[in-house]
Amino acid sequence: MATAAVAVPRSHRAKETRRHALIYLGLAPFLIIAVFPIVWMAITALKQEPDLYRMDVVPFWFNLPPTWKNFDILFNRTFYKDWIVNTMVISVWVSAITLVTAVPAGYALARLRLPFAENLGIGIFLTYLVPAIILFIPLARVVSTLDLQDSWWALVVVYPTFTIPFCTWLLMGFFKTVPLEIEEAARVDGCGQLGALWRVVLPVSWPGLTTAVIFSFTLSMQDFLYSLAFVSISDQKPVPLGVATELIRGDVYFWGSLMAGALLVGVPVAILYNLFLDKFISGITGAAIK
Amino acid sequence: MSDSETAPTDHAPVSRRGFLGVTGAGVAGASLLDMLAARQAPAQLKGTSLRILTWSHFIPAYDAWLDDFAKKWGDQNGVRVRIDHIPHLELPARFASEFAAGAGHDLMQMNGQIFTGQYYRHLMDLTDTADTLEKKYGKWMESSKSAGQVQGRWYAIPDFYIAIPMLWRKDLFDSVGVSNPQTWEDFRKAARLLKPKGHPTGMQFSHCNDANHNWRALLYSFGAKETDPSGQNIELDSKETREALRFAKAMFDEGMTAEVFSWDDASDNRYLASGVACWIHDAISAFRTTEDTNPAVFKNTYMLPEAAGPGGLRWNVGEPVIWAAWKFSKNPQGAKDFVVAIVDAQKEAMLASRGYNMPFLRDHYKKPMPGLGNDAKLAVLQEQDKVTAFFGYPGPMSPPAQEVLTTFLIPDMFTRVARGGPIEDVMKLFIGEMRRVYAKHKTG
Amino acid sequence: MAGSGSRGRSARLAVAVGGRVGVVPWWRTPTARRYLFGYTLLAPAVLYVSLLVGAPFLFSLYLAMSDATVGDPVAQFVGLENFRAALESTMFYVALRNTLVFTIGAGILKGLLGTTLAFLLLQPFTGRKVVRALLVIPFTLPIAISVLGWKWMFDSQFSVINWALSRLHLIGAWGSPDWPVWLGQPHLALASVMFVNVWRGFPFSAIVLLAGLTSVPPEVIDAAKVDGASFMQRFSKVIVPMIAPILFIGTAFDTVFTLSDLSIVYLLTNGGPDGATEILPTLAYNVGIRAGALGRGAAISLFLFPLLLPGMIVLLRTLRRRQD
Repeated sequence: MATAAVAVPRSHRAKETRRHALIYLGLAPFLIIAVFPIVWMAITALKQEPDLYRMDVVPFWFNLPPTWKNFDILFNRTFYKDWIVNTMVISVWVSAITLVTAVPAGYALARLRLPFAENLGIGIFLTYLVPAIILFIPLARVVSTLDLQDSWWALVVVYPTFTIPFCTWLLMGFFKTVPLEIEEAARVDGCGQLGALWRVVLPVSWPGLTTAVIFSFTLSMQDFLYSLAFVSISDQKPVPLGVATELIRGDVYFWGSLMAGALLVGVPVAILYNLFLDKFISGITGAAIK
Repeated sequence: MSDSETAPTDHAPVSRRGFLGVTGAGVAGASLLDMLAARQAPAQLKGTSLRILTWSHFIPAYDAWLDDFAKKWGDQNGVRVRIDHIPHLELPARFASEFAAGAGHDLMQMNGQIFTGQYYRHLMDLTDTADTLEKKYGKWMESSKSAGQVQGRWYAIPDFYIAIPMLWRKDLFDSVGVSNPQTWEDFRKAARLLKPKGHPTGMQFSHCNDANHNWRALLYSFGAKETDPSGQNIELDSKETREALRFAKAMFDEGMTAEVFSWDDASDNRYLASGVACWIHDAISAFRTTEDTNPAVFKNTYMLPEAAGPGGLRWNVGEPVIWAAWKFSKNPQGAKDFVVAIVDAQKEAMLASRGYNMPFLRDHYKKPMPGLGNDAKLAVLQEQDKVTAFFGYPGPMSPPAQEVLTTFLIPDMFTRVARGGPIEDVMKLFIGEMRRVYAKHKTG
Repeated sequence: MAGSGSRGRSARLAVAVGGRVGVVPWWRTPTARRYLFGYTLLAPAVLYVSLLVGAPFLFSLYLAMSDATVGDPVAQFVGLENFRAALESTMFYVALRNTLVFTIGAGILKGLLGTTLAFLLLQPFTGRKVVRALLVIPFTLPIAISVLGWKWMFDSQFSVINWALSRLHLIGAWGSPDWPVWLGQPHLALASVMFVNVWRGFPFSAIVLLAGLTSVPPEVIDAAKVDGASFMQRFSKVIVPMIAPILFIGTAFDTVFTLSDLSIVYLLTNGGPDGATEILPTLAYNVGIRAGALGRGAAISLFLFPLLLPGMIVLLRTLRRRQD
């Protein structure tokens, strides 16, 4: 329909443009608030130090030439490389432990209508009300009993305490959206309950699983107190602890390196987040359509 | 800015289970003295390891020196030494977790926050070491004893304290005719005259370490007292305290800007280094930062040990840094020996700290003191011990005094008055809180 | 499970009554097998959390009711003395008030901003992926470091925010009374720490909501459109009920995270000036760990627990009933 194809786009395009404009306008404040500090941190990471303390010039641009010195300090004069590796490895292990415990738990709570399950669910959730500043003391005893103090393995043991409850609830929510018919069909086909879980429910919930992994990563990277309490050896520290303890000396803040350290860790995770967010949304929509 | 760069800490990669557990328990004091005198590595120490926890010194050059010193000492004595540095404000959490775990470092440093009173039942008795050092280097500073002693026994060895003098801009002061400031009144006058010219002063009215020390210095210099010498009775409710509060409010109104309510420990350093401040009340690290980043300002910056109050009293509130060792330490002998070695090397340490570390033992004050004696500006600090007090003055640095410190009661009292709160009401409120704190420690 | 419905019910009845069922031993019924399967699946999570959180939690309850100090954790039981002592201290009330203002205020803001953002992100438009990636960064940056970045941005002398606002003539110059001292003026300080919490948290709210919104099947929405429902009607009668569970859970978790988080206040103001930003976690840390009074610190930090516990239970139960 050639004429139709030519006639429609003009008003359609106008509408689209207007729609886009409205959306961008709506997003602008959010973007500015979210992104401005990041841009600022990126600029600071590349600035020379005396450039930070001048009030008479524009702080958004480089009044002294930009420098890689802060990155140099980060990589060559601290254990940043070790910290990144530690953080990533810790997060991977913690995500694994979280999945192994939270997936079955979430499924059980979502599907199996167990008595006391509701209370158990509430109980797991309430563990968040106990603050880390109190928990870290008995946990120190646990860590030393396992002979893990001053190793990042201590954190692998401790971090799931705050990732498991949340991910259990998250996965419970996801499993509930899996249509019962799929499971019933699998069981009619001869899978046991476990088989149905393994072969049918999990593959369909894979967006939920990846979301749980992402949240495990983010929650693990937020911690400061536990790593402070259990790890003191420089090359065993995760990034937040390492950066905060070794790039601040009382009155001297190595702002450039601090900001560089943050961005190098945070931005890749944000990108990963985004990749998975896509799959997660298409997965959900797909499941809903089916 | 070589001195401000992070000192790379050189750790030999240590495996989790790689320590040999040979302990050197039960060495008699006499033989220890002999061995030290002969400077030979005692047989028990060879092949052991020593784990030390210290703070991240505000002068990075000192940490570089300390790490190097420890390595050399370790090599000389056949001990594998490892030093870990964390920010001093995080030390209490670390102590709590190590104690709960029943394992951790062999030797640790307390900085500013003194926990001897809380942990002494689980700390090694170091009385013999303290006595040894006293014999060698003269008497311990009287006020230092409350940091290390409980009921007459030493459970921690004082290493050095941090002086917090007046750092003032001679060029600015001269320009308004205050050429030889000696009293708090002088400094207030200078700030009043210099603020309109764009050079106010600033002292933190916030929840930070410096606020605790600065306002106590003002209080003590005005003749006010936190407790009586026994540390049991609060004596803050006095005419002198009221005078100090009135003075602080006046000084704020005349000579400071509202920024000071948001300041942290580093803000006043930056104020000075940026050329704005006409004076600050801060540790030598500010002096050194300015030296490194703003030579023009540094040239005109001078030092005064402390300003005098109306009665002529001068009290500078220092921060003590002390060494303690857990009873469960795997290398008690190594810990003791290291402490002695560090105090033996006090002169080098002072030099490495660029004038920051002030000693506790009498003989180390013999002039010229390393790092200070030959510096025209720093030479005044050689009399610092005569004007130094610590928190809780004149009472000891006890657990209740520590709690008053960590809950920032005194800075808050000054903040509220500076904001316009009526002095009587404010004092009643905060001294009431102080009494409650002390009462809880009595029953606890 | 439709199939095992009636048999399951009688088996459950038999179990509840404690008697024996005539037909099949109760442990062989499908219901029992389901329970066994279910509890086995739950076991790892429950064990992990009870051992590493439950037991320490009981220990901290014990601490809160004892006069323990850091050097002496096995101390005497003092009952509710620590809680009573906390109530006598003005600092405690200030911290309590600030905590409530902080949590509720920040929570509302995050909910509103998150919902708006989630709606915007739901729309297809060019560059959506890039925008999403950018918006998520505040949440992915480690909190300790991003807060330090804000500390620098709020600095009383060098704040880049103030510089920009002052150049735009929205505020005065440095040194004038119109120069905001973000972390120094009492209400401004609390607002600033709340703002940092919202800045970190609204991407999280948006993602959670986005998850909820995308799980609403488009047919349902289309059906509502066909029925003539307006946007507001569609929103309130169709979408909100469907996303309510996720919205609620997200908010609840976020509230709980906020209540026990001390990093933002600790790094920006440490509770100052004069307690303007003091919250229960920072007070508990200063009293319990830095001053060593473990028992009293535990009491302060667990203070809200007896209030939150029934609240949470009621709300979670309501949620369950809504779903069934």
